Amino acid sequence: MAEEIMEAAGLEEEAADESQKGQFMTFQTGKEFFGIGISYINEIIMMQPITLVPEVEDYIKGLINLRGKIIPVIDVRVRFKMPPAEYTDRTCIIIINVKSMVIGLIVEQIAEVVNISDDDIVPLPSLKRKEKEQNKYVYGLARLEDSVKMLLDPEKLIKQEDLVKIEENQEEEQE
Amino acid sequence: MAEELNNDGMLDMFLYESGQLLEKLEGIILEKQDADCFDESDINEIFRIMHTIKGSSGIMMFENITKVTHRLEDVFFYLRESQPDNVPHLELVDKVLDVSDFVNGEMEKIKAGEKTDGDEGPLLKELDDFLAKLKGEIKDQGIPLPKQKKNDEPSQFYIAPVASENSRFFQIVIHYRNDTMMSNLRAYAATFALKEVAEDMLYTPEDIMTNESSADVILAEGFYIILQTKSSAEEVHELVDSTEAENIEITELSAEEYGQKLVEHGRVDAPPAASAKASEPAKEEKKAPAPVVPGDYVVKSKETGKGKTLAKNQPKKQSIISVNVEKMDALMDLIGEIVIAEAVVLQNPDLKVPGLELPNFQKAGAQLSKITTELQEIIMSLRMMPLTNAFQKMKRIVFDVSRKLGKDIEVQVVGENTEVDKNIIEHITDPLMHLVRNSVDHGIEENVEERTSRGKPAKGRITLEAKNEGGKVYISVKDDGKGLSKEKLYEKAYSVGLIGERPITDFTDKEIYSFITLPGFSTKEQVTEYSGRGVGMDVVVKNIQSIGGRLDIESTEGAGSEMTLVIPLTLAIINGIVVQIGSSSFVLETASVKTFMRITSDSIITEPDGEEYIVLRDECYPFVRLNEKYNLKGAGTNVEDGIIVVLEHESRQICILIDKLVQEQEIVVKPIPSYIKRVKGVSGCTQLGDGSIALILDIASLVDNKERRI
Repeated sequence: MAEEIMEAAGLEEEAADESQKGQFMTFQTGKEFFGIGISYINEIIMMQPITLVPEVEDYIKGLINLRGKIIPVIDVRVRFKMPPAEYTDRTCIIIINVKSMVIGLIVEQIAEVVNISDDDIVPLPSLKRKEKEQNKYVYGLARLEDSVKMLLDPEKLIKQEDLVKIEENQEEEQE
Repeated sequence: MAEELNNDGMLDMFLYESGQLLEKLEGIILEKQDADCFDESDINEIFRIMHTIKGSSGIMMFENITKVTHRLEDVFFYLRESQPDNVPHLELVDKVLDVSDFVNGEMEKIKAGEKTDGDEGPLLKELDDFLAKLKGEIKDQGIPLPKQKKNDEPSQFYIAPVASENSRFFQIVIHYRNDTMMSNLRAYAATFALKEVAEDMLYTPEDIMTNESSADVILAEGFYIILQTKSSAEEVHELVDSTEAENIEITELSAEEYGQKLVEHGRVDAPPAASAKASEPAKEEKKAPAPVVPGDYVVKSKETGKGKTLAKNQPKKQSIISVNVEKMDALMDLIGEIVIAEAVVLQNPDLKVPGLELPNFQKAGAQLSKITTELQEIIMSLRMMPLTNAFQKMKRIVFDVSRKLGKDIEVQVVGENTEVDKNIIEHITDPLMHLVRNSVDHGIEENVEERTSRGKPAKGRITLEAKNEGGKVYISVKDDGKGLSKEKLYEKAYSVGLIGERPITDFTDKEIYSFITLPGFSTKEQVTEYSGRGVGMDVVVKNIQSIGGRLDIESTEGAGSEMTLVIPLTLAIINGIVVQIGSSSFVLETASVKTFMRITSDSIITEPDGEEYIVLRDECYPFVRLNEKYNLKGAGTNVEDGIIVVLEHESRQICILIDKLVQEQEIVVKPIPSYIKRVKGVSGCTQLGDGSIALILDIASLVDNKERRI
């Protein structure tokens, strides 16, 4: 059943891909607002009991069971190296689908869906630090009337994880 | 039938049937590889297989397959007609295998959607040369030429099936409507339908499958079939009837008339010698069909006349369907979901009200459980396949490798019907292949003298054995070769620095044998084409471990070695015990749990470096606190409050401390999402009855980890 629903969602997504262009789901973490392209998002669910998985990075919170599908969830705050916050009843899990990998993002609060045109997006100003330390998963800043939203590139978010992990694994093996 | 011939299913059918036939062919060949020659029934069978593949590949327009099989068919036609004495058997075996490989290769291309572009030229030439050689030899030695030989052909070769009183004879003439497209295919469909009931059948035109112009002949003159069968005229009519047929005449014949018809039809293409023979009434039945040209369908004489044809062939065709594996997997997943849903219902927290009794609910629940268990068993059995094919491949490998290495080896197969989950078969074929190659290459002695001096027969022997025991499948490859030398293994491991400075007395036999599974270990000085690179055995072991199996090695120096793969019957559903540590649930595979017990804290010994051991009944087990290792909150740390579980893997034990035993249940194994890279000590996860997730502990890696630290 779950698969069917997901599939259906996937199909709708494809069909709606064009109209979704420029639409971003924004959420708040700490004081900052972030945005994710809406086409990546499968659904948003309330906070769920999470099964811990031992010996993984601290931002990987564990696994949740979404209608029979087992999905890993990561805490965005911890991922952004912010101190973890208590989970409240406003805490949500955004289920994203990146290259057919389904992952949950724990965020403090969902804000809204906004339209951001390409003109309003500026690339992240170079912080003139080592490239490694730059925010790799923020690819641009969007200026809206009253605020600035950091736009996340979920593909990078996932990919970077893997790279980091592979490096770590290699280190472990060398030991 | 007609419908099947006109759609894409035809290609599938071709691939499936030809695949089966080739397997059968290899089976015959390998069985008789050591014999001096093929006996008549084999020759007939190979001839028939080649003929069938030729015919169907002709329909499918795979010309190179048609040509090659046709040529081999010619060879066997010659063999069965003239029965030459001096057939170079091994060369013939090689030729047949070459053809089989070629056709297999082309079929792989067809499956992959590629063009069949294999060059049949060289193979054709080889076969031509071979046939010429056969014929040449015979002439040189003055052995009678084929046609003369026919006279004293043994009756076993072809007996017109007249034995049964119930047999009836029919002449069938089908006229198709003038506008029928590809009437030859229609005709083929009719003969195909009749095959199921036919004891014997002849038809004209004969080359309907290969010759497209036969369509015109059929349209103009009608399609003639003479048939011997147990079926009634009505049944026959029903079988051959098709929408395109304008008129079907079915005439019942007497046995004599039938014989006469056979002769008439035989005469169409028969060489003069045969028709002359046919006039001798006593031998008529026997002889007339002998000159049957390729294109006739001849039911094997062995099966006819005994009424076995129906019982043997028909049910097979009708009771087996091939199903896409993806569909099976989807069904498997769904049944997994049912098992979970059942647990969700039956263990629903809402039911856990103190004092609540629901006898009817419990009864219904028990019934449901029974059905789901049966469902599971059935889906499991659907996925089970016998190891026959895998073993046949191994036989072929032994044959190939031993020939190339110049060793004389026979293969014995025991328990090839043992059934294993399809997924597992896929995983073990490569490792098994490796073990077999090793046995041929390293196991069996190079010199026959070496063998005979030890009192062993000159011929090497490799035994492939499979058995099913206690939820595990044991597949062993045994050779009676030189066995493993402990000293040599130790020296080698020592010299390549795999074991440090430990003396040989430090190791048990088993440990020394297991050196060969270490990466970078190979005792064979020279790398051969087949083995000796030392990259093999560690890969074998890794592959086997990845499906939860292991490799056992036993050996006696001078007498041979035995490598046994011990693998689980299935991967998808295991019996597990759910336990709780802190707030987390874990699953332990039931088979690896040895004991549960409560202990007092004075049974714990702590080493200065912090390693803990538990002493139980004079035995000392390593003790792992999972709550510390995995950083689990809320777990009890006092061993007297919790329960100690002794886990065993490959006769090594380890103890863990748990807070609570939840229950034993069937566990549907789900992989950990790939996003989370491999977690040490966890092999998968599952969904429990209350919808929460439990991790399945990987006992093997827990034990290994602990050992390494020691």
